[in-house]
Amino acid sequence: MIERKKRDVGGTVINIFALLLVLSYAVPYVYLLMTALKPAADVQQIPPSFFPNRITLENFSTVLATPSLPAAFANSLMVAVLTTVLSLVLAVPAAYVATQYRRSFTTLFLLFALVTRMVPAVSLGVPLFTVLKSLGLLDTTLGLVLAHTSTAVPLALLLMSAFFEGLPKELEEAARMDGCTRFQAFVKIILPVMRSGIAVTALFSFIASWNEFLYALLLTSEKGKTAPIVIAEYNSVYGLAWGPMTAAAVLYSLPVILITLILQKQIIGGLTFGAVKG
Amino acid sequence: MTENRFVLAMIAPAAIFLGLLVAYPVALLVYNSFFKVELIAPDVRAWVGLQNYIEALTSSRVRESALRTLQYTCFALLFEFVFGFCAALLFNAIADSSRWHRTIFALPLMVPPIVAGLLWRFLLIGDIGILNYGLVGLGLIDSPDAIRWLSDEDVVIYAVSFADIWLTTSFVALVSYAGLTNIPRELLEAARIDGANALKRFWHVTLPMMRPVLAVVVIVRGVDAAKTFDLIWIQTQGGPRHQSEVISMNIYQRMVRYGDLGEASASATLFLIVMILLAVVAYWKIWRPAND
Repeated sequence: MIERKKRDVGGTVINIFALLLVLSYAVPYVYLLMTALKPAADVQQIPPSFFPNRITLENFSTVLATPSLPAAFANSLMVAVLTTVLSLVLAVPAAYVATQYRRSFTTLFLLFALVTRMVPAVSLGVPLFTVLKSLGLLDTTLGLVLAHTSTAVPLALLLMSAFFEGLPKELEEAARMDGCTRFQAFVKIILPVMRSGIAVTALFSFIASWNEFLYALLLTSEKGKTAPIVIAEYNSVYGLAWGPMTAAAVLYSLPVILITLILQKQIIGGLTFGAVKG
Repeated sequence: MTENRFVLAMIAPAAIFLGLLVAYPVALLVYNSFFKVELIAPDVRAWVGLQNYIEALTSSRVRESALRTLQYTCFALLFEFVFGFCAALLFNAIADSSRWHRTIFALPLMVPPIVAGLLWRFLLIGDIGILNYGLVGLGLIDSPDAIRWLSDEDVVIYAVSFADIWLTTSFVALVSYAGLTNIPRELLEAARIDGANALKRFWHVTLPMMRPVLAVVVIVRGVDAAKTFDLIWIQTQGGPRHQSEVISMNIYQRMVRYGDLGEASASATLFLIVMILLAVVAYWKIWRPAND
């Protein structure tokens, strides 16, 4: 009985600690939300207050009225969608044969993809700038999509390889018995089976592109600018406009966070997949 | 179609793409690093051999930014590790009821780095940074301007890493948690029956079992932290007086502000080589021994 009680007390303490830890990690973002909802004049008051005295959407309307931001959001969306599609089209078939038809060159290929993940963005960005410049693709959606896809493909390859790893070889063999070619078996049988893995990979490619900053900074200048670039410009150009800036930051980050919360189980699974399998 | 042709056909598009957009640019990077070449006129070039490398290695600004990258990486990694691993142990201790904790804890993971940087700048900046008011409230500092996080030259490189720590502790926590749940219960139970106390069980069972997972986390996070650009850029742009300029920012500045493509390429090549070497060494040293 006493032993039991001691355990409960210990459990409660652990629960409180866990709760405190979790809350302390959530507080900064909540503060961002609160700040965005304050009247613009209150954002920079001294001393600062955590909660708004009055809730208003004036910061949001200011931001949406600036012509550059909606265009930048459209660019971001376009780049992220095209990057996702392109990286899946390239990576899914490659990951499939690399795991199901092991050859020495497929192993080498996966190793190359792994090494590519270590390449610092700036090291690739410097030469990509000159490559895209000579192709006339600087400051274009296509140029940025190519740059983002170069990092999305290795990521998608590694994720998809992990997913294909668990796929029984018999699946394709059965389809071939029924008269499918290898390619038909892949398209008609394998892809539908793998749809949740593909969805997770798609989401990761999308988020990576949506959040990307350095390539966008290097490779766009005017009409190709994406949302993070315009938000960063707020930071320097308008110096003290913290109100609209926090509103822009919320508009930019909240959709991704909501998607994450809805699909959290799959996403966390995908994140920890490769690492834990060792 | 023969099997080999099928494999080739499936893998070729990705291989060609990576060849054109990764291997070729990297080759171009190394090639450019041996020339005196300006960004505005990349066709006008003069062979200078290793001159760019010598300049990069002897420049005090490059050396300092490399050192700063190391400081930043170690500091961020240390705290991410301590907080993340503790969080994972806590979540593991309350097991099933930790679902909501983990959900909320995963939140920063999906915050774009640029937003995390902005947010932390807002928390730390001058008179309106709420963090210092909180510290005053707790009695830890006397007045809100006692610590000038982002303008004190000695503090800034550590202060800019707060955003990184906030952003990625969850990654460490979630991966560690997944690793902890994979440890067979019987193993811990057997150690308990043998009379090992909680601390001993942690040291002799949990930690060795977690070694491969922790190795992956160190490699992935270490490489990412050393590559950081956006998070620091948005907080300080490398200032004050370059005191928060890390190596990727130094390379960017050399290329964009000074237009020196040759020297930027040389530094970027060195950076690339160091990153790959580090990853390979880390892989061999930490990960492999646990496998056999």
